[in-house]
Amino acid sequence: MTGEVTGVAAPVQVAGWRRAVSILGSLQGYVGLVLVVAFGIVTRGDTFLSQANLTNAVGAFASRGILAVGETLVILTAGIDLSVGSMLGLASMVSAMLLVNQDLPPVVILPLCMLCGAAMGLVNGIGSTWLRIQPFVMTLATLSVFRGIDRQLSDNVSVGTQVAGPNGALTGHSNTFQLFGTPGHNLFAGTLGAGVYYPVLAFVLVCVLCQLLLSQTRFGRHVYAVGGNETAARLSGVNTDRVKIAVFVLCGLLAGFAGPIDAAYSASADPLAGTSYELDAIAAAVIGGASLAGGRGSVVGTFVGALILTLLDNVLGLNAVSDNLQLIIKGCIVVVAVVLQRPDLLRSLAHFVRRITARTGRSS
Amino acid sequence: MPPIPDDEPPALSVRGIGKSFPGVRALRGVDLDVHAGTVHALLGENGAGKSTLCNILSGALTDHEGSIELAGRPVRPHSPRDAHRLGIGMIHQELTLVPDLPVADNILLGAEPRTRFGTIDKRRMRARAAELLAAVGLDLDPRAPVRQCRIAEQQLIELAKALSVDVRVLIMDEPTSALADTEVRRLFGVIRTLTARGVAVIYISHRLEELEEIADTVTVLRDGAGVGTRAMADASRAELIGMMVGRPLGEMYPGEGAPDAVAGTRLRVERLTVTADPAAGRAGLHDVDLTVRAGEIVGLAGLMGAGRTEVVEALYGVYGAVRGSISLDDSRYRPSSPRAAIRRGLALVAEDRKTQSLVLDNTVRFNASLAALRRFRRYGRVHRRAERRAVDEQIAALRVRTPGGEAVVGTLSGGNQQKVVLAKCLLTRPSVLLLDEPTRGIDVGAKAEIHGICRRLAAQGTAILLVSSEMPELLALCDRIVVLCEGRVTAVLDSDEASQEAILTAAMARRTVLAGAASGGARAGEGR
Repeated sequence: MTGEVTGVAAPVQVAGWRRAVSILGSLQGYVGLVLVVAFGIVTRGDTFLSQANLTNAVGAFASRGILAVGETLVILTAGIDLSVGSMLGLASMVSAMLLVNQDLPPVVILPLCMLCGAAMGLVNGIGSTWLRIQPFVMTLATLSVFRGIDRQLSDNVSVGTQVAGPNGALTGHSNTFQLFGTPGHNLFAGTLGAGVYYPVLAFVLVCVLCQLLLSQTRFGRHVYAVGGNETAARLSGVNTDRVKIAVFVLCGLLAGFAGPIDAAYSASADPLAGTSYELDAIAAAVIGGASLAGGRGSVVGTFVGALILTLLDNVLGLNAVSDNLQLIIKGCIVVVAVVLQRPDLLRSLAHFVRRITARTGRSS
Repeated sequence: MPPIPDDEPPALSVRGIGKSFPGVRALRGVDLDVHAGTVHALLGENGAGKSTLCNILSGALTDHEGSIELAGRPVRPHSPRDAHRLGIGMIHQELTLVPDLPVADNILLGAEPRTRFGTIDKRRMRARAAELLAAVGLDLDPRAPVRQCRIAEQQLIELAKALSVDVRVLIMDEPTSALADTEVRRLFGVIRTLTARGVAVIYISHRLEELEEIADTVTVLRDGAGVGTRAMADASRAELIGMMVGRPLGEMYPGEGAPDAVAGTRLRVERLTVTADPAAGRAGLHDVDLTVRAGEIVGLAGLMGAGRTEVVEALYGVYGAVRGSISLDDSRYRPSSPRAAIRRGLALVAEDRKTQSLVLDNTVRFNASLAALRRFRRYGRVHRRAERRAVDEQIAALRVRTPGGEAVVGTLSGGNQQKVVLAKCLLTRPSVLLLDEPTRGIDVGAKAEIHGICRRLAAQGTAILLVSSEMPELLALCDRIVVLCEGRVTAVLDSDEASQEAILTAAMARRTVLAGAASGGARAGEGR
């Protein structure tokens, strides 16, 4: 008896068309990925599709991709974490120093780095909730603080992760550390062709786990609720501060997890490692459909966004497009992706066209 | 009712207005004539097309069918600015003021007087603002930020803003939904001076008793079409409701006697005290006592700012720890957080469903199960099937009209949104239900259904504490009515002694209340 009910009774084909448009809208992210892949196949088919190339492309982006997953969690609660790059830098430095100075086995180094990242995330979380500092400001401050600690620890000198033993060969732990992502070192060598490149595996695993966390658990619901309407969440019995602190801690934990990967990938921990990674992380989340206003987005989307960014890089590189041009194209992709994600895109486009034609019609 | 002149063209004449949104035909061929110096009411359930029509008239929606004439001259407003220039002003249901700007800046936003150098002429602006404030009967410092004003004052500031241009047609979309009865009186006074000056007023409200008082003519809309226009004096309530819902409905408030389930006291509140927080717009409470038995509906009455919302929010733990002693089923209860309150069996339907209760962009299922996810936990994850079953059950029981659990809540009508909020509360299986204006701004049919739900829940033994600005609602539903004034209880009325007069007298007993307490008098500017 209300207007909405009459709306349902509207012609079926209109409803069908609307549903098609909205499904198209939710798939627009994938459309971008398909376009990039198609472009790659058409221009550089054989090279592009080879396992080595794809592994390279995804592996190079894996540490940033993992940051993007953590960033997505924070963005879903309507926050933002600008310090992920610095946290990754510090974690990679910690991992290299534990390896070189303490000669710890990598299986011990990894959890320690994650712990270190989680602690940094806790600082961000506490600042953004109990101290009521806006996340942008809080993490802008810690971006600087964590980078400073990183540089102080290392005395502004890179720490190489390839430690030679007395006999000139790499020490055992250093050799194992390379499995974290030094190109050419794979897990399960012999199976699956060249084996499994750990960064790619880690990235995919992180995505799967975090997507399950978001879609299957109470915590995931609470994350969406806090981002969608914080007051409503609190009045529904959600401990909103705890949820916000938790996403910052998770984000830091993932940055700590990505630290050793980055160190192994470049075979050394650079005091400037991870600089401006936060921008790539945010870009991947946004291309994947996350809204900075909170409450909208998913890890699957971010995964696709990260793939778009890295494969585009790869394809442009294969086609020998200059670095400068690549930067420009990457920026444009962000804009196009965000515009494409508007569910009412087609409608507002039609409205715009009609208005223009109406205006020219009147003036003539 | 002033005589409607036949010779001159109506101030506003609308012919065959139609508007479609994708998949929805919001308006189909509506005709409307509004004469200068009269109040023309628009009546209809939510989703009937009233707001769409007003948005077209005020230029917020363009691209429609049909024609609009202002005093016989065809016009077509393309934007709200355009409409302003034509002399059409609109006051939206949701306030559109900038909270941190001063009153004067808000009133003249976009039309600020300039000096020779192009800067804002503050002096002229304040003078003009003071003039407009006087016109709506407000005595406020134009330099005070809007945030510090009460809701009722903000509503009148909104009116002053609309008057800042030379309006010939003024559209008011539910201007009284946030006002208590005395404040409504004052608004009506302003409306009468406007009509005396020849302004044509289009007035939307769900409150029939108000329309009987202020409106000259009424047009009823249903499903986007005009059902008919009547002179207000000739139309009976039953007839109008029948036109709105398209079927005869029993009298709105059947004065049903309370079920005599005399059970033990479920909720006992003694000396509840909350300090006022003007920055957060929070009134103080002073030694509030009340009890609610199981199966009882207790009403909380009072003017805006009397502390009604504060009582339920304090009980729900929104303010954290409070002073006073509260017991639930004879065991001590200390409010600390909404989370703890839910665990003790309290549930709150908050005052503003859009900002306080719903994640509008998410689904019905997401919203309904949000407070009760604990119930659906299995192996650390949310058991989707159990969740869906429970939500579907509530949707059916509360008769929520939605395409399904996966529909986005923001697309439902107000009444159905409110039912989703109720579903969320009921899924936590509360023993005490706190309702804060549960029927504000929803249509007559949904209102009657929510009243029915309240009675049913009470009959099942739930204790209900109901805050409402609508006295007929309180009188019809409540077993007892507690009246608040300036944060103090001024009367407790049993259903047989309660009447609109008795409630109003107690609600306006400001002077008696304040005789003992010097504090709180600073803002007691009205109700004389």
